[in-house]
Amino acid sequence: MLPRPLRAALCCALLLVAGAASAKQAVKLVFIGPLTGGVSANGLGGRNATDLAVRLRNADAKAKYQYELVSLDDECKPNIGVQVATKAAADRSIVAGVTHYCSTVAMATVDVYHKFGLPMVVWGAVLPDITYANDYPEVHRVNGTMINQNETAARFMTGLKYQRWAVIHDTTDYGKGHNKYFSEYLARNGGRILGTFGVTADQQDFSAELTKIKDLRPEVVYFGGITPLGVRIRTQMDKLGVKAVFQGTSGIVSDAYIEGLGPLAEGSLAFREGAPIEKLPGGKFFLEQYNAQKYNDPPEAYGAFAFAAANLVMDAIEKVGPDRKKVRSELNRTRDYQSVVGTITFDDHRQNAVPLITKFVVQDGKWIVWEDSDYAKGKRKLVQP
Amino acid sequence: MDVSLLGQYVLNGLMLGTIYAMVAVGFTLFFGVLDVIKFSHGDVLMVGAFTGLVAYLGLSALGVQSNALLSLGVMLTAVPLIALLGAAMARWLVLPLRGSPPINVLLITLMAGTVLREAIRLFYPAGANPKPFPRLLPTDAVSFGALTLRFDSAILIALGLASIVAVHLLVTRTRLGLAIRAVAQDSETAQVMGMNFQRVVLVTFAIGSALAALAGVTAGLYYNEINFGMGLLLGVIGFSAAVVGGLGNLYGAILGGFLFAGLQTLGAVWFAVPAYKDVFAFAVVILVMTWRPTGLIAEQQAERV
Amino acid sequence: MNALASQRAVLWPAFAATAAIAGFAYLFLRVEAQWEVVALTAGALVALLALGRTRLGAALGAAWSARPAPLAWGALLAASVVVALFAEDHFALLMIATVLLYGVACLGLTIQFGYAGVVNFSGAAFFGVGGYTAAVLATHTALPHLLVVAAGGVLAGAIGSLLVLPLLRTRGHYAALITVAFAILFKTFLEVNDALGGPQGLKVPGMRMLGWSFNDNIALGENTELSFYLSYAVFSLLLLAGALLLVRRLERSWLGLSLDAVRIDETAASVFGFEVARWKILAFTLGNVLAGTAGAVYAMMTGFVAPASFTLAESLILVSIVILGGLGNPVGVLAATALVVVLPEKLQVIQEYRFLLFSGFVILVLLFRPEGLLPRKLRQYLPGWGRA
Repeated sequence: MLPRPLRAALCCALLLVAGAASAKQAVKLVFIGPLTGGVSANGLGGRNATDLAVRLRNADAKAKYQYELVSLDDECKPNIGVQVATKAAADRSIVAGVTHYCSTVAMATVDVYHKFGLPMVVWGAVLPDITYANDYPEVHRVNGTMINQNETAARFMTGLKYQRWAVIHDTTDYGKGHNKYFSEYLARNGGRILGTFGVTADQQDFSAELTKIKDLRPEVVYFGGITPLGVRIRTQMDKLGVKAVFQGTSGIVSDAYIEGLGPLAEGSLAFREGAPIEKLPGGKFFLEQYNAQKYNDPPEAYGAFAFAAANLVMDAIEKVGPDRKKVRSELNRTRDYQSVVGTITFDDHRQNAVPLITKFVVQDGKWIVWEDSDYAKGKRKLVQP
Repeated sequence: MDVSLLGQYVLNGLMLGTIYAMVAVGFTLFFGVLDVIKFSHGDVLMVGAFTGLVAYLGLSALGVQSNALLSLGVMLTAVPLIALLGAAMARWLVLPLRGSPPINVLLITLMAGTVLREAIRLFYPAGANPKPFPRLLPTDAVSFGALTLRFDSAILIALGLASIVAVHLLVTRTRLGLAIRAVAQDSETAQVMGMNFQRVVLVTFAIGSALAALAGVTAGLYYNEINFGMGLLLGVIGFSAAVVGGLGNLYGAILGGFLFAGLQTLGAVWFAVPAYKDVFAFAVVILVMTWRPTGLIAEQQAERV
Repeated sequence: MNALASQRAVLWPAFAATAAIAGFAYLFLRVEAQWEVVALTAGALVALLALGRTRLGAALGAAWSARPAPLAWGALLAASVVVALFAEDHFALLMIATVLLYGVACLGLTIQFGYAGVVNFSGAAFFGVGGYTAAVLATHTALPHLLVVAAGGVLAGAIGSLLVLPLLRTRGHYAALITVAFAILFKTFLEVNDALGGPQGLKVPGMRMLGWSFNDNIALGENTELSFYLSYAVFSLLLLAGALLLVRRLERSWLGLSLDAVRIDETAASVFGFEVARWKILAFTLGNVLAGTAGAVYAMMTGFVAPASFTLAESLILVSIVILGGLGNPVGVLAATALVVVLPEKLQVIQEYRFLLFSGFVILVLLFRPEGLLPRKLRQYLPGWGRA
C-alpha cells in the first residue's frame, strides 16, 4: 500500500481533474503542526482533522471553491516554525492557515503572519501570550488558553474538599504555564501546594520525584504536561505506592492516555476548554467521519479544534472570497459561530472567549464528562480527602 | 530523612543504575573492538522493547496464559532478534566505514537510529503514542514505612546484574572472550595471529545489542510503558556512563551507570526544582572528566607512539 | 605551450563548474514537485561521484589550487547572481541565508575538528549563545547591531573557554563526552531558568545598520518590492565569504600546519616542540566565535530564540554536516550544509515520512562515499608544484 501522503497526492490529482470539469476555483489553505518528533501524535491528529474538513467541504456540491490543503511540519522547533510559516505566508496563493500546536513555535511565528498579512487560526497552542502579547489582526485562536482551564480546575477541585496538592510539570512552556496559572488560582481558592516538581519533557524515570512526593502525602497530584509524560508518571505513582488523585490538564485528554495505562487510568481527572465534542451533534458527526477515513492516528485532544478552525476559515472564504484581507476582517468579526467544539466568539484580541470548560474523568476506559460519571453520582469514589 | 525513605531512594537508584549499566556495557564493548561511538544504541534498545511487546501480544493471541512463560517468551524473542539486528548493523553500516575517520561511524549510526525510531513511530500501529507494557512479574510488595519494595523491581535488578556478570564471564573466561580482548587490544596483531576479525566484531556487536534488548525489556517491565523516544536519553546516558567509568572496562561501565543514577537521584532530592538534576549530573560529569581524564577506572594502555 | 596559457586553459572548466553549481542551486530552490527534487538530488550525486573518478575532477582541483583568487571572485559573483535572482522571493532568500549562516557555524566546527581534531558536540549551544546575546543586547541596549553580532561571537568564545581546561586534559571520546554534557546542560539550564525567557524563549529585534532596517522590504519604483530577506542574505554571504577566507588562510598558513600536526599525532607533535594546548585553545575558541557570530545573525533574522532550537540533536545536525561534507574540506562543508538544510525542507511534501527518508538517504551517501562528499586532499606545500 502507498503511504498516506502519496495516496493523498494521488487523490488530489484526481480531484484536480474532477475539479477542472466542474470548474470551481481552487483555493489553497495551509496546515502547520508537528508531524515528526516527540509530540507528532498531536500534530498528525490535527493534520488529519484539517484534511477531513477540507475533504468534506470538497465533497459538498454547494461549496463555491475547490480547497487544497498544504501541510507543513514545524517539528515543534521555533526556527523551523519561522521557516515554514514564511514559506506559507510568502506564497500568495495560500489564503489562510490553521496553524501550530506548540506554543513556542506560535510565539515565534505570529510576527511572520502579521508581516505577510496571512490570516491564521491557532488550533492547539495554549500559551496566553500568543494572542494577548500582541495586537495582530491576523492572529486568531479557537482553543482556549491555559488560564481558563486552570481557573475552573482549581475551583472544582477545592469544591471536592481536597486541600493538599503536589505539582509535577514539564519544563516546556506548556507545563510551566500550567503550573503558574494553576498555582495562582489554587491559592485563591484556598488549596495548598506542598511541593512543585519541574521535570524535563523527555524524562523516563520519576522515582526520585515521586518518592519525595510520597513523603509529602498530598491528596492530589497535579500534572501539567502531555500524554506520554502523564502515562509515565501515573504508572510510576502506582509502582511507588503514591495513593493520590491524578489531576491532569487538557494535554492528557486523549485515547492514548487510556490505552497507555489500561485499568490504571481509572479515576484520572482532566479539564479541557470547549464543550464535550461527543455531546454536540456536529461533534458526533466529526468523530464518525474521522473514523470513516481510517487515518493511522487518532484525532487526540485538539483534533476537533483543528477541524473547527478549518471550517471557520473555509466558511469565511465562502462568504467573502479568497482574499487575505477580506478573510481576515471576516474572521475578526466571528460571533456566535457554531462549531464542533461549541460556540466560537472572538474577543478584542481575537481569542475565542469560550465560556465553557469541560471536566473529564476516566471511567471504565473512557473519558467521561464529570457530570455524567458514576463519580459525580456518588456510585464510585475517587481517593478520599 | 528517615531510614525507610533513604532506603527507597537507594532502591530507585539501584533500579535506574542497573538499566544504565546494561546500556553502558554495550558502548564499552563497541569501543573496545572498534573504537567507535555507536549512536543508535539507545534506539536499538527501544526496538528491543517493542519486539518484546510484539512477542507478548503474539503469545497471548496464541493462548499462552502463564506470566512466567510469557516473560520467558518475551525475552527469548527480543534478545536473539536484536542480537541479529546489532550484528547486521555492524556488518552493513559500521564495517564498510572502517577505512574512514572513526567519527564517520557516528554519523551513519546516528542516522540508522533515526531510521529505527521513525520507522517504529510511523509503522507500529499508532506508534507515535506511548504503549502499555504488560505486568508479567509478581507485583506483590513489602512495605517498611516509606519504603515499598516490589518483587518485580527486585527480580529485574537481579536479572540485570546477572546479565552483566554473564557478559563479564563471557569476556574474561571463554575462548570467544579471549578473541574479543585480543582484537580490542590490537586488532592488527590479532588478525596476523589468524583471528577472524570480522567475526569477532559481529559477535561483539551482537552481545552488546542483546544486552540492550534485555535492558529495553527490563525498562518495559519496570515502567510498564514504552515509547518510540525512550532510547534517546537512555542512549546518551549510557554513553556518558561508559565514558565516565572508563572505556573498554566492564567494571567502569557498571560504576558509571550507578554513579549517574546516583547523581540524578541526589540532584532530584537536593534541588527545589528537580529539573536541575540533569544540569547537576552533567556538570559533575564534566568535573569528573577534568579530574580523571580517561575515566574513573583509567584505560590500562600506554600511548602507542 | 607556455605556463600562463596552460593555466588559463584549466581556468575555464572551473568557471563553468561554478556556473553549473550556481545554476543547480537556483533550480533546486525553485523546484517543488517530488520527482523534480528526487531527480535533481540524484543528478547532483551522480555528478559528484563522476567528478571524483574522472580527470575533470582532478583538473578542477588543480585549477583551484593554482589560481584561487579569480575563481573565488567568480564563486562570489555566482552566489550573488543566485541571491539576486531570488530578490523578490522571501522564502528562497530565507533558505539561502539559513544555509549561509549554518555554513559559517560549520566552518567553525571544521576548524575545531577538521583541523585541530577537537570534537565539539555542542555547536548548537554556541550558536545559541550568539542568538541569546543578540536577543538581550539588541533589546536592552542601544549598541550598534554590528557590535551586537560581534558580541555574540565573543561571548560564545568566552563561554567556550569554560570547557577549555577539561578539553585539554582529555582526548577522543572522553573529550566528546564533555561537549555532549555541555550541550545537554546548556539547553536544560535555559529551560529551567526563567531569567532568559525560560522555555518560552525571547523575541529578537531585527537588524539595523547605519539607519537601515533589515526587516523592511526594499521598494524599487512603483511595482517592484525586493524581499527584506535580501539584506540578510547579502550580509550572510559577506559573513560566509569572510569566514571562508579566514579558514583558507588558516589552512594554508603555518598555523594550519601546526593544527594538522596536533590532530594527526598529538604525542609526536609535542615531542617536536609544538605547544599542543595553545593550538587546541586557538582552534576551539575560533570555531566557537564563528558559531556564535552566525547564531547572532540567525536569531535576528528569524526574530526568535528558544531553548528548543539549541538542543543536543541540533548540535548533532551540525556535526553531521561537517562529517558528511568530508572532514576538513570547507567546500565540502558548504555542499553538505545545503544538502542538510534544504533537502528536509524539500521533502515537506511527504510530510511525516521525511526524516525517515532523509536519514536513509544520508546512510546511502556514506556507504558510497565513506569519507564524506568531498574529502580533504593531501596538503600541497607548493601550489602547482609537481603538475608539470
